[in-house]
Amino acid sequence: MKKVIIIGFLGVIAYYLLSAFASVPFGADLIKGVKDFYLDKSPNDLKVANVVTSIVVNFRGFDTLGEVTVLFLASTALGSILYRRRSHDSGLNPQRTAPEASALVQTGAKVIFPFTIMLGAYIFIHGHLTPGGGFQGGAIIATGFLLMLVSYRKFFIEHNALTWIEAIAGSTFVILGLLGLVYANNHNFLENFLPAGKLNDLLSGGIIGIIYVAVGFKVGAEITGILDTLLTVKETGLDPEEN
Amino acid sequence: MVISDPVYFIALPLLTAFLLPLFGKIYKPLIGIIPGLVFAFIAYISFDLYLNLVPGKPIVIQLAGWAPPWGINLVFSEFSGFVVTLITFLAFLVWVYSYNFKKVGFDNSKKYFTLLMLLVAGSIGVVLTGDIFNMFVFLEITAISSYGLTAFYKGRDSAEAAFKFLLIGSLSSTFILLAILLLYKQVGTLNMAEIAVKAQSIDPKMKSIIAILFMIGLGIEAEMFPMNGWVPDAYSQAPGPVAASFAGMLAKSGIYALVRVFYTVLEVDGIFDLLLIMGILTIIFAEFSAMRQTRLRRMLAYSSIGQMGLIMVAFSFNTKAGIFAGLFLMFNHAIIKSLLFLASGFLTYSTKQKKIRDLDGFGKIMPFTSLMFGLGAFAIVGLPPFSGFWGKLNMLVATADSNLYFVIALILLVAVVEVVYYFKVIGRLYFRQQHKEVEVHKPTWNAIAAMSVLAIVIIGVGIYPDLITDYLTKATNELFDKASYIHNVLPNLSLN
Amino acid sequence: MQEFLTYGIYGTAFFLMLLGLYAALVKKNLVKIVIGLSVLDSGLHLLFVAVGYISNGTAPIFSPAVVGKNVVMVDPVPQALVLTAIVIGFGVTAVALALVVRLYRKHNTTNIDEIKNLKW
Repeated sequence: MKKVIIIGFLGVIAYYLLSAFASVPFGADLIKGVKDFYLDKSPNDLKVANVVTSIVVNFRGFDTLGEVTVLFLASTALGSILYRRRSHDSGLNPQRTAPEASALVQTGAKVIFPFTIMLGAYIFIHGHLTPGGGFQGGAIIATGFLLMLVSYRKFFIEHNALTWIEAIAGSTFVILGLLGLVYANNHNFLENFLPAGKLNDLLSGGIIGIIYVAVGFKVGAEITGILDTLLTVKETGLDPEEN
Repeated sequence: MVISDPVYFIALPLLTAFLLPLFGKIYKPLIGIIPGLVFAFIAYISFDLYLNLVPGKPIVIQLAGWAPPWGINLVFSEFSGFVVTLITFLAFLVWVYSYNFKKVGFDNSKKYFTLLMLLVAGSIGVVLTGDIFNMFVFLEITAISSYGLTAFYKGRDSAEAAFKFLLIGSLSSTFILLAILLLYKQVGTLNMAEIAVKAQSIDPKMKSIIAILFMIGLGIEAEMFPMNGWVPDAYSQAPGPVAASFAGMLAKSGIYALVRVFYTVLEVDGIFDLLLIMGILTIIFAEFSAMRQTRLRRMLAYSSIGQMGLIMVAFSFNTKAGIFAGLFLMFNHAIIKSLLFLASGFLTYSTKQKKIRDLDGFGKIMPFTSLMFGLGAFAIVGLPPFSGFWGKLNMLVATADSNLYFVIALILLVAVVEVVYYFKVIGRLYFRQQHKEVEVHKPTWNAIAAMSVLAIVIIGVGIYPDLITDYLTKATNELFDKASYIHNVLPNLSLN
Repeated sequence: MQEFLTYGIYGTAFFLMLLGLYAALVKKNLVKIVIGLSVLDSGLHLLFVAVGYISNGTAPIFSPAVVGKNVVMVDPVPQALVLTAIVIGFGVTAVALALVVRLYRKHNTTNIDEIKNLKW
């Protein structure tokens, strides 16, 4: 019975959405909008080849600050939700109980790992030139760590280091924004105050590249931390203090 | 001038939240002190900015050096400034209240303060932003920090409450995103002022679909009727100060977003009628559920939903009197409900079951907390000389102005119902003998200070409503005058 | 071809969204509910990118191969928005999974019928 009601409800939603999107034909151009401004200013003023990057980091940079905050928030909330008091499991190192992966997987992981990190770093360093950016690069770095975590039982991540990277990368973003209030032409938060450089150069786009590198570090650290928290908790399965 | 930039309201809490783990490594007590300093600072600058605001000239801040509609902008106007000042004031008091909460069994304060700080930053962002997608981002920040804060205590059913909240919340974000997507494809911009200009050309059918999607999505945080299943669970499972900040910040930013979208961004025929109906349903559902509750926190949560319903009804009149009453009710709800939740934090902490009947005779055991609870109850019901009275009075006047006599009858009926269930609690506090031994947790000095300040505000505004009516009138005018909002954000726009 | 693309791509996105919504509302297993939310998000993100497409457009990147030529570029704004939406979806999913772990630890089940301490 419940299913019938829900399917009916979904049908109503589908009908209205389809009728709404029927008037938005696929591939049609907008009459006029902010996108033309972005497509014009990004290569000419900001000297950033990747327009998506210049929107994400500059035009709508405030959104990205919020986005980074969401990741930070997720890892903090995760920590607080799965938190257990130190006194209970002190003396007992975090242990994952999953069986050791085979030698083949372990060797492969060891070989791939540095290249994964390198690829991630490449992607966020070139975020303003090629497809990709801080979020994508950070996610790739985190997959490298995930690979190591699942192949080696004894691979532990230094949480202290993660905390430092998160804090420094996050505050770099905000502080660069605040510096814009002081040094930039219009005294705006997150405004570019460095020379823009030449289109398609590595050192172009002013603070955009720097912010994306900071975002890359932060996202990599954040996702790695989240994965590690979930894996370690799930596999230890000890539960001394619930209720 | 640099120091009074509204961007600090968001940038400073974010920066502090990012750095808080490091402060903890340097010196442990900094984790508690630094958030307080930040809250005090942003409360101070918001008061300073708000009191010095020139009428009709809101502070419009562009971000990243691009003028709206290309960049994101923040608008600190009479209305948004009022809500921001309220939020920062409450945030500071919540900090004062929870500063040394760990004496009564509180742990892991680093995560708590980080989440609280991000909840505050998110709520302020929702209120200040002039960009519809940016509003969505900040709504998600408030939502995720609320999930974390709801599940903060172990041992209770808090994870269940938080999961329920998360399920409803992520469905709502889907609806908001769909609405934003449709809107963007129609007008090609995300700036609220420019959307407001271009929205006239949208096909009416499309516009009403967008409006309904927004209403479903934003109604969740504003505790609107079918989507408020999370409220009683989250309020009753979260720590006391968190419940107070949900009432004071989360619900306030939710209703602000709803009102801003329907008053300024999208003008849709009949949307206010729909809001009126939803508001009335919310009131009826909430007040009668509140009467049947046996647990104090759940009762307060349902009462909170009822108040939010009343606020929705007030805003649905689309008249100046209605907006004025709605703003007054928002103010009252934020201040009084926070006081009630803060007081109930200590009342229920001493009783295991958190049931109302366990509170017999608490008036003698915890005289101060009981007094504060009683004061809050009298105020929320709408008795003079408390600020709640003026809110309800203005509400009745506004309803009469709109010739909605059945709504007047409903408001009076609701007042009676509220009297019944609040006085049931007060009766147990003061006129019953204590029937079982409890381990009493006396409120700490800082909790007493926080509650006293709220009580003083309630009585002060109750005796001299003129303290705030002036500001409320200005905020009303700002919200009602859509053209000047558009003009202030987009000064160079030639209308068509 | 145009019609096919319109209905094919929008249809896929809507199908994913409705599938996810169905799973989130009907399934009894907490993990399946989280998967449903995730699928719902994916459909929505696909819809975002599809709406931003402009016929015969290239990626909005002014690489040396494109500079100076007159090319149509797809709308970059929905792509930027979807990046934000994906990250937010990731955060919500992570928190949801953490809550599932908490619930499983406490109740030793992931079936919501057996965890009804609060009313649903």
